[in-house]
Amino acid sequence: MTPPLLRVEKLEVVYHHVITAVQGISLEVPEGSIVALLGTNGAGKTTTLRAISGFLGVDDARVTEGSIEYRGHRIENLPPHRITSRGITLVPERSKVFENLTVVENIEAVVPRPGADARKLAEAVWEYFPVLARLRDREAGYLSGGERQMLAIGSALACAPELLLVDELSQGLAPLIVEELLHRLQAIRKDLGMTLLLVEQNAAVALDVADYAYVMENGRIVLDGTPEKLRSHQDIREFYLGTGAGSGARRSYRDVKQYRRSRRWYG
Amino acid sequence: MSQPRSSGYLRTRYAQDWMLLETRTQRVGFALFAACALALPFFAGAFHLDIANQVLLASIGAVALMLLTGYAGQISLGHAGLLAAGAFTTGILFKEFAAPFWVTLPAAAAVGAALGVIFGLPSLRLRGLYLAVSTLALHFIVIYLGSEYESKRGFSTGVVIDPPRLGSWTLTDARAWYFVLLAAATATVLFSLNLMRSRTGRAWRAIHGRETVAGALGISVQRAKLSAFVVSSTLTAVAGCLFAYYRGFVSAEAFSLFLTIQYVAMVIIGGLGSILGALLGAVFVVLFPYGIEAAMKATALADRLSSLIFAVNYAAFGLVMILFLVFEPKGLVGIWQRVQAWFLLWPFKQKPVGK
Amino acid sequence: MQLAVNIAVLAAIYALVSCGYVLIYRTSRVLNLAHGELMMLGAYGLFTTASLFAGYPLLAIATSALLALIVGVLVYVLLMRHMAGEAVLAAVLTTIALGILLRGTIILFWTAQAQHPIRALGLTNQSIAIGDAKISAVGLTLIVVTACVYAGLYAFLRYTAWGIRMRAAGQNPLLAAQRGIGLHRIYALAWGLATFTAGLAGMLVACDSALDQTMATIGLKAFPAALVGGLDSLLGALLGSLIVSASEVLIIYYVDPLLSEVVPFIVLLAMLVVRPWGLLGTREELDRV
Repeated sequence: MTPPLLRVEKLEVVYHHVITAVQGISLEVPEGSIVALLGTNGAGKTTTLRAISGFLGVDDARVTEGSIEYRGHRIENLPPHRITSRGITLVPERSKVFENLTVVENIEAVVPRPGADARKLAEAVWEYFPVLARLRDREAGYLSGGERQMLAIGSALACAPELLLVDELSQGLAPLIVEELLHRLQAIRKDLGMTLLLVEQNAAVALDVADYAYVMENGRIVLDGTPEKLRSHQDIREFYLGTGAGSGARRSYRDVKQYRRSRRWYG
Repeated sequence: MSQPRSSGYLRTRYAQDWMLLETRTQRVGFALFAACALALPFFAGAFHLDIANQVLLASIGAVALMLLTGYAGQISLGHAGLLAAGAFTTGILFKEFAAPFWVTLPAAAAVGAALGVIFGLPSLRLRGLYLAVSTLALHFIVIYLGSEYESKRGFSTGVVIDPPRLGSWTLTDARAWYFVLLAAATATVLFSLNLMRSRTGRAWRAIHGRETVAGALGISVQRAKLSAFVVSSTLTAVAGCLFAYYRGFVSAEAFSLFLTIQYVAMVIIGGLGSILGALLGAVFVVLFPYGIEAAMKATALADRLSSLIFAVNYAAFGLVMILFLVFEPKGLVGIWQRVQAWFLLWPFKQKPVGK
Repeated sequence: MQLAVNIAVLAAIYALVSCGYVLIYRTSRVLNLAHGELMMLGAYGLFTTASLFAGYPLLAIATSALLALIVGVLVYVLLMRHMAGEAVLAAVLTTIALGILLRGTIILFWTAQAQHPIRALGLTNQSIAIGDAKISAVGLTLIVVTACVYAGLYAFLRYTAWGIRMRAAGQNPLLAAQRGIGLHRIYALAWGLATFTAGLAGMLVACDSALDQTMATIGLKAFPAALVGGLDSLLGALLGSLIVSASEVLIIYYVDPLLSEVVPFIVLLAMLVVRPWGLLGTREELDRV
């Protein structure tokens, strides 16, 4: 069996030396797949993403335990631009474009992974997002939310990633646009042979496209499985999809039997 | 001040919250220090007494800047301008109206307060870098006005001032000056310590932390900022007035940008946010050039570089400042606290979390 | 007419110096108050290379310009890199301390006396008549060099990949790092370029008049020019330089020569009161500092 593209093992992240945001999670992203990481606010999804993309230092956070391996190499202590040059690129949740730069400059500013053909990549971006091609010389600060998200994905693609991390794709966007973007991402992944890690609050959207999903709560992974399995899971239906029996009466995961049975303790 | 201490001293009465010296060790230490300070002029020679006087003068200005930058968090690069304002008020009043010191001193304070409002006005709109720049600009304007007065009135080398006189007694003796300056510095320190425990002091610390939050908590941010500028520059102008009398001479050249930098260095090297830091910084910065000179004499470099001693001074001063900024941003007080903690915690190395 | 020429030369000096402030500020949000001293260092560098390569003035100028570039990169790598993430005050004070250090070192290496690098280069500074006004050859060169530097910087920032990356890093450093841009490399480049232009300015000013400790004041006076135009705009720096130099020359001529030291700062204060972010600066920058 080949090792997965990305393997996170027993990762623990501590903010300001005291607050433990991620408490020993493990997950695997096999090459060529779409993996979703689900959870509500404060579950530790974004912290996990930051740990993978090397951005913990900004908020005085540190990986205190565990490892992140990419293609068999540990990456948890690399600076962000080195991680990008290894082939992991993040589409961030907020401030995702250079607002004072034009669309075409946003694409040109990136430093592609060594060995990648920058020109070809830029062409590919215009092909996948014809809307952006029309807005080439518009300043990115004047784009609409959907166009910004496209540009963010486009400029991330221009880095020639092997693994694309997408943080909250659906946030602040109309459902139709989210659907369109997701299908386009799926197509891009197929064409370029990329791997995707989606971080989402909106489980319905993510389960549509993912091959495998993890659910986080309070800094731990409490459930994982294929979308089919998760969709049929009673708690998921209740908490995330809003189709469960007792929908509306929101309880904590801690009270749920299945959570107790399936939660995992590491380390 | 009112920090909990890891010793057997416990507060049992509310009055103890208001004591500046809480423990017996502190009281004994302070008494020893006071005794040394009072005895110093009877043992020191003229040279050392002059240095001591300079330290006392500098400590008034340093405490004033500490109130503004260290506590209220308002950056000022106009400190030399304020000193100059105090000194020139004294000089001009003396030359034009032959005013005695009990007129010039309050006048200098008044000018300082007025300038404090002017220096502080930009702070209502500007923050950080831009505020620093606006005070820098005001510094140049004050210095220009001073030198303009000098050149218009024909005092091209500076204004000479007679020593202050009370009845038939004049203040010329260095030893007498020492006690006057010691009293002034003590008064400044006491005033500042008490101010920081008052409502005003707390408001200043609050706007230092975060203005918006301070405003939301019902503190008038504008009033806090302006009062910080006014108090700081009043004290500074008084220091400038004393400086003018002590030197017996006022000249625009003495108040260069370098003087501002020296005062900022005192605050930084001493350690931001601590009156003790301001005093330590003042001692350090005033003694620094003498230390360099002594070091050069000791290494026999002095003969070769005697004409360049000020350049060596300059370079070494810049270097020390850089070293402090990069390696010990908390200054001398930070070093002191670490030494204290080391002894307190020995044989352990880490403080428990949350202290 | 002579007034116009004077304004143009002074504006060229200020513009050449102030573009360094803008470059460093807009990439790394640091105000470099050691700029005047770095400018002086460039001029003294020329003085040394001129005597080193006597008879080859072009070689001397090229070498000292290259040295200035290297010095700038070194300043970042050795010193300012450690100030990343510190408070604004700390970074500004570090540059001030650097300025003091440089000034002392310069006097130690090259005495405090006034020097004349143009003589060491073996050139003369003729004056050229334009209509009824006169301009020195170096003054004319200054204007030409400033124009070239601004055109070059504009092209660099707009059309080259590294220039676009520099703008990107200045605007959103986190995203820039995410997109594979090495921030340290960008900042070092900005410091190198800024010191290079400062060095050019220092050399030319030293050739036009003399070279001594007062040169750092020019650096300090050019700073209001940068701020009046808006600290994050090159075009603003150009405009600000014109405004400051025009008001300075006119006030010296019509009012009082003593005022020359303060005029830039009075203009600056007026600007800070009315429009703190400068003529062409970005408004939200104010809250970030």
